[in-house]
Amino acid sequence: MNPQILARLRDLCRDEAAFEQIRQILADEVQHLDQEVNQANSRVEQQKALFSVIARLREPLDLEKIFKATATEVRQLLKADRVGMFRFYPNLGWDDGEFVSEDVDQAFPSAIAQKIHDHCFGDQFAVHYQQGRIQAVADIYNYGLSDCHIEILAQYQVRANLVVPLLQGQNLWGLLCIHQCRAPREWQATEIEFATQIASHLGVALQHAELLADLKEEVLERQQAEQTVQALNQGLQRAIIELQTVNKELEAFSYSVSHDLRAPLRSIDGFSQALLEDYHDHLDVTGQDYLRRIRAATQQMGQLIDDLLNLSRLMRTEMLLQPVDLSLLASEICTELQQSQPERQVEFVLQAGLLAQGDLRLLRVMLVNLLNNAWKFTSKHTQARIELGATVQENGIRVYFVRDDGAGFDMTYANKLFGPFQRLHSMKDFPGNGVGLATVQRIVYRHGGRVWAEGAVEQGATFYFTLVAEEAGV
Amino acid sequence: MSVNDKVILLVEDNPDDEALAIRALKRNHISNEIVVAHDGVEALEYLFGTGVYAGRDLRFKPAVVLLDLKLPRIDGIEVLRRLREDENNRLLPVVVLTTSSEEKDVLDSYSLGCNSYIRKPVDFLQFSEAVRQLGMYWLLMNEPPPI
Repeated sequence: MNPQILARLRDLCRDEAAFEQIRQILADEVQHLDQEVNQANSRVEQQKALFSVIARLREPLDLEKIFKATATEVRQLLKADRVGMFRFYPNLGWDDGEFVSEDVDQAFPSAIAQKIHDHCFGDQFAVHYQQGRIQAVADIYNYGLSDCHIEILAQYQVRANLVVPLLQGQNLWGLLCIHQCRAPREWQATEIEFATQIASHLGVALQHAELLADLKEEVLERQQAEQTVQALNQGLQRAIIELQTVNKELEAFSYSVSHDLRAPLRSIDGFSQALLEDYHDHLDVTGQDYLRRIRAATQQMGQLIDDLLNLSRLMRTEMLLQPVDLSLLASEICTELQQSQPERQVEFVLQAGLLAQGDLRLLRVMLVNLLNNAWKFTSKHTQARIELGATVQENGIRVYFVRDDGAGFDMTYANKLFGPFQRLHSMKDFPGNGVGLATVQRIVYRHGGRVWAEGAVEQGATFYFTLVAEEAGV
Repeated sequence: MSVNDKVILLVEDNPDDEALAIRALKRNHISNEIVVAHDGVEALEYLFGTGVYAGRDLRFKPAVVLLDLKLPRIDGIEVLRRLREDENNRLLPVVVLTTSSEEKDVLDSYSLGCNSYIRKPVDFLQFSEAVRQLGMYWLLMNEPPPI
């Protein structure tokens, strides 16, 4: 006690015995106060440590750094020999785990990164820890611990330990272990409370880490998805470029066909005609007939080349999709057909208001071909009927049809109908070049639809077509 | 100078086509002199008075140029372009007479200022008829530009 205060007290007390009593009372009181001050100081220190743990949680540090700093701080504050974070291996029950972080006095062995198999810990202990149980052991040899448990603790020279669960949300993630190695230790209530608070804040850090990991995984997944999309796009780009190249080649090819294939035909035809004109007298009737046949054939071939070019042009021109009134188009075409042969008796039955989404020019070409066919193949009948209509398929897709009651065809050859230059009738009966239905098919395909036909000899034909893509497998 | 004095410049590399075109012209009693250029270079030399035609009197212009498109060395489109860029040949009547009716050819020809575009038919009689009408139109009916 302060000697100056004691000197003043002695001056005030005339009685030596009374002074001694007062001194004793004061001494007791001061000691008590000292203790309280000490306790308050250590609480302040603990609070400071807690704050720094909390502050660290706000910083974007990884778990490893948070654990390490916290272990160091807690060990200093509690004057413990070892503070470690023990982690259970996920999905392996609660028997196995390892210390993932620690701060340890140099005099004692490190417990870190040593796999620990504690078969006596197991589910039973885990359940308790999960419910927040804290184990405070003053002396491991005097606490009723199982032999195997003591054995494990003894490996690390533990004499006393304070174990608090580390929970990640509801799950037992691991344990905060505070070891005293040099001697047994009675753990104070304030120390236990401090350790509990530290553990609960570490729990928050664990949850943050989990969220962060989830987030990173999600980001990664998105990046991978993006890469996949990019790869797909690149593939598409390549395919487009390839298609463009093929298209250009096709254009160059048909340009060359257009120029070069027709030129020799002109020579053949021209000089055949020259022969007929200039050498008429030298040729008998058969010779003249041969020359006429040559000319007819060259002209036919010229026509075939033109048809082929038209067909390939149909496939190359860009499509402009818009609503198209098929009924209106058909009605215009039928009027033209009737005007071309006014004497024919043909009844046109056109369903009104048949709208389709498509390229007006291409759809017109398609209908011209279908209706021309119907007109041509009914020409041997004195009375005929040509119909345009539509039905709806089970899958909701509209099927259009052009029907006639003319010459029809043998269904055996139905698969040949749409091939270019395929003809099912003799040139003499029904003239034609065999590209009409091939043209129809290409136009339908370009719209994503399909086309097929039904018919019977002398019982007419029906051509069905759709103009939208159907789901695969339908 | 009468109509018949004016020449027809036929730009054609295919000898068969050349023979047939000349035959068609004669057949239709078109008696104008026919100058044949066998490629674009020759055609330009004639019209600009250069090369083998160096020193040619450029006041004598053809009544009409019958121009094939697919030609060796300089093609027909390029011939047309150079003619239209040239002050003296800007208004010269040029009829494209070719095998193809590719949209691009037709478009390019008209864009560069050809006066007409005719596709040679395979059928010689049709070709002959086309040549007859050509002659009628460009040699008789058409009023040439005052150059």
